[in-house]
Amino acid sequence: MDLENKHKDNEAKSGIFNLPKLPFNFPKLPIKLPKPPPPPTHLGDVELPKTLMYLLPIGGLFTLAFVGAIASFIITAWWGQPIPVLGFEQTFDQPINFPHTVHASTKQLDYKDADGNVMVGLGTDCTFCHRTVNKNTAAGANAYIPPVNFCANCHGVIGSEDNVQLNILRDAAGIIGEDGTSPINWRRVHRLPDHVRFVHEPHIRYLSANPEHIKGETDGVTTGPSAVCSTCHGNVASMEKVYQVEPLKMRQCVDCHRDNGAPTDCATCHH
Amino acid sequence: MTTDVEKFGTRNWGMIADLDKCTGCQACVLACQAENNIPINTQDRVERARSISWIRVERYWEGDFPDTKARFIPIMCQHCENAPCEPVCPVYASYHNSEGLNVQVYNRCVGTRYCANACPYIVRFFNYWDPVWPESLRNHLNPDVTIRSRGIMEKCSFCIQRINRTSRKAKSEGRELEDGEIQTACSAACGTHGIVFGDLNDPDSRVSKLKNNKRAFTLLEQFGTDPNVIYLAKVDPHKKGSEEGHH
Repeated sequence: MDLENKHKDNEAKSGIFNLPKLPFNFPKLPIKLPKPPPPPTHLGDVELPKTLMYLLPIGGLFTLAFVGAIASFIITAWWGQPIPVLGFEQTFDQPINFPHTVHASTKQLDYKDADGNVMVGLGTDCTFCHRTVNKNTAAGANAYIPPVNFCANCHGVIGSEDNVQLNILRDAAGIIGEDGTSPINWRRVHRLPDHVRFVHEPHIRYLSANPEHIKGETDGVTTGPSAVCSTCHGNVASMEKVYQVEPLKMRQCVDCHRDNGAPTDCATCHH
Repeated sequence: MTTDVEKFGTRNWGMIADLDKCTGCQACVLACQAENNIPINTQDRVERARSISWIRVERYWEGDFPDTKARFIPIMCQHCENAPCEPVCPVYASYHNSEGLNVQVYNRCVGTRYCANACPYIVRFFNYWDPVWPESLRNHLNPDVTIRSRGIMEKCSFCIQRINRTSRKAKSEGRELEDGEIQTACSAACGTHGIVFGDLNDPDSRVSKLKNNKRAFTLLEQFGTDPNVIYLAKVDPHKKGSEEGHH
């Protein structure tokens, strides 16, 4: 068979597909591949409806949407904060529903006190309770949660006697109940990776001296550490339940350090 | 007004180890283990030559029998200016910062162990296992130091957490750092004050003055690593032919 005949032979074999012709035949594979089975038309004795053909791409779309949702979740979690679903919320149910609004805000609240008057927030400075946060001590690296007795200093007297949440505190402080004092297992909301050594004190010191670099706002508080804290923690004074506002990724740290002339040496934070 | 970036890097941390004062008591080793969250070197780990000690006191013998003398030399990371460990790291986990420190960034390290092979002083250690402490030692861990997980390199950091903390304290009090204010764990623990830590760029600091001592030498000088740890040689009045022996 000469070359031209071969071409014609190929053309005949190619059927409906008019593929460009090659000047040679493909060598045959040494093994014969099994033919793919024909698409199912029957399931047992039942003839499958033709509508299945339309359903299949819809199933594909659903799969695509599912995979896309998971991918977007991973990407957002990597880039910033995860989408707050399925236990990935950046907040926790605490043993006591501590409302920061009552203590830190200066605005009118939804709460009513024991006499039925509408309450106004105390407007306490953050450092009134988180005492070590602007201290240059070993404990100052973290904004510590005050001990129970510190809360009980006020709440032994302040607040109605049938307030359930306050009674948990009074029980823990040993004011009521028989079992003495016990600490409260607060759950930590803002947590940095273990290889980051973050200290609050220099940040508060710098931003207090340079208030033009403060980002965010607090309810009515414009001076002092409370205003500074909002740069990373958001408006905590308006939160019934504290949640993480900023993703607190290294990108944010480095951006802010560059803008404010702080060292960006690795050993500043990682050691 | 100078920014922090401009101020940063004007210092060059260095250490003087006076061998004449070293008694080989190992207090520096113990202090370092406690300060830097170094896992406990159990018998099992030592037998496999996988123990970790950022500073070690090496003992060697000098002279022939019967005039042998036991000599001690504390060896920690030399923080070389031309560090052999730095160019071999593929992920820049080991780098030189502008304060003369050879820094190991734990979260960058991928555990190739090239740096440990390149280091002539054998002061880099690999974590073959996750560190484990007994329950009773839970609260002894230093919160200022990262606990190194399995699969990464670690080494002496010149107690950078103490440098940072003291610098921060000086700054919040609005003053300059004083010489001798920063004490590394080993220098604070040294009973004979044989280890001195300070700024080599400051001509008035103790380390700068001791550096010009005629006893000063550096380890493995022939490699040209230019270490920031400087040793002062042992004074031996009984050694034959020694300069110090004659006066």
